[in-house]
Amino acid sequence: MAVSGSGGSRADNGYSSQQPRRRKGPSALATAYLVIYNVVMTAGWLVIAVGLVRAYLAKGSYHSLYYSIEKPLKFFQTGALLEEYLLITKYLSGIVPSSVVLTAFQVMSRVFLTWAVTHSVKEVQTEDSVLLFVVAWTITEIIRYSFYTFSLLNHLPYLIKWARYTLFIVLYPMGVSGELLTIYAALPFVRQSGLYSISLPNKYNFSFDYYTFLILVMISYIPIFPQLYFHMLHQRRKVLSHTDEHKKSE
Amino acid sequence: FVSCQVEILDWKTKKQLCFLDKVEPNATIRDIRLMFHRLYPRWYPARQSIKLDPKGKSLRDEEILQHLPVGTTATLYFKDLGPQIGWTTVFLIEYTGPLFIYFLFYFRMPFVYGLDERFTSSPHPVVNLACICHSFHYIKRLIETVFVHRFSHGTMPLRNIVKNCLYYWGFAAWLAYYINHPLYTPPSYGKKQINFAVIMFLLCEAGNFSIHVALSDLQRNGSKTRKIPYPTKNPFTWLFFFVSCPNYTYEVGTWISFTIMTQCVPVGLFTLLCFIQMTIWAKDKHCTYLREFKDYPSLRMPIIPFLL
Repeated sequence: MAVSGSGGSRADNGYSSQQPRRRKGPSALATAYLVIYNVVMTAGWLVIAVGLVRAYLAKGSYHSLYYSIEKPLKFFQTGALLEEYLLITKYLSGIVPSSVVLTAFQVMSRVFLTWAVTHSVKEVQTEDSVLLFVVAWTITEIIRYSFYTFSLLNHLPYLIKWARYTLFIVLYPMGVSGELLTIYAALPFVRQSGLYSISLPNKYNFSFDYYTFLILVMISYIPIFPQLYFHMLHQRRKVLSHTDEHKKSE
Repeated sequence: FVSCQVEILDWKTKKQLCFLDKVEPNATIRDIRLMFHRLYPRWYPARQSIKLDPKGKSLRDEEILQHLPVGTTATLYFKDLGPQIGWTTVFLIEYTGPLFIYFLFYFRMPFVYGLDERFTSSPHPVVNLACICHSFHYIKRLIETVFVHRFSHGTMPLRNIVKNCLYYWGFAAWLAYYINHPLYTPPSYGKKQINFAVIMFLLCEAGNFSIHVALSDLQRNGSKTRKIPYPTKNPFTWLFFFVSCPNYTYEVGTWISFTIMTQCVPVGLFTLLCFIQMTIWAKDKHCTYLREFKDYPSLRMPIIPFLL
């Protein structure tokens, strides 16, 4: 069961290199390291989830919950960057499939949202759209990292596999909506304050308009998001039907 | 007299596309491509990839049938490479674009900087100088493409040209925009900086041209065999002592000098990308040389003497 699970996880949200492939699985030491890493990441996102729930119960409303989980969110989301960097170096040495490019976009967009938008433009931190993507990311990551943990230990409950390959159908659009709405909300403040922008004339004859840049980022979601989404749907069909066949043959 | 038979299968479906009998054993792959083309007119030779193995490399035109590891009945695989375009055509299109696009910005077409600034000219001499240098660079490249370069493969896939043009033309527009902008600021160290840059520019262009001529002379008698390039009496070619691809070295030098001349970040960025791309090409070429020639000079580095 873990075989089809780990095989099927290849190239969806990426990080498939973490999966032990049957023909030459990682050494015991590498496995131990990966298990610890994934457990820590699962725990981290659980902390964020718990933080959200507690803050909600304490405040009685779901506004401004961002502040209660700001630090762990930044920490664990940026941690994913390290993961992606490791993946990219493996890709450049020819080991990992080319869907790394798509997942690199995803990690980049998440880190971008966390630091370059939500952190930088203080006024959007109270927006509901922030909560929308934080909740989507939190649920997705908890399931994903526990999926990896269990796969590495070769004891993958079907529920987790199912959750990973099904919940994205709702969580993905939810996260993307939250992200886009947040960027859109940040626009007027960026325009007003000239954040991260440089204009002519200057010594180096260069100009950069962060406002226009954000609009281009939003537009880039149009070609990229459907590709990632259909890729996941395709993976889902492959993985979940694989398991059915496996079950039938038993 | 033994004659061979050749069957050609589609690389993916393994369906037999044609069967040629009474093929001469010393026929070349080029001959086979021509025969195949007669049967399938729309697959002209340049778009045919003929290989021994479905997932293998394409066979070269010069390969001779009886020297290949096949019996008297050869099975070859065909893959359609898609519409092809000649290298000369590619370069002409790629280089004419930046030449004219730069002019749009230099002459300040109304749609570029707004109606108020239309057709005005810059008060800074360096802006005129930059236009001359940029144009000179691309005109030189066009002349080389027509009269100097000899290309080893004839063609490249058509869709590459869209990608390449976007890159060259896009960057030309981006850097021309800033250099010719009404709010352009001339270099910080004034005339000293500009003069130094011009001299470096001219030296690198001369160097680059010398190398292209030297490389083209290597293939003078039309032979397709590769030879090691060596320094000639021309001092610019003495860089061959230290580097496998001095043409790329000089090219990077040209763009560095242009960056110094204009003191413009987009130009610097373009230079950086050029440097990265040319380093990749140079390393590739260097490895090919090392593989093909046992006596390849060991002092040589791919692109930067002693370093890279």
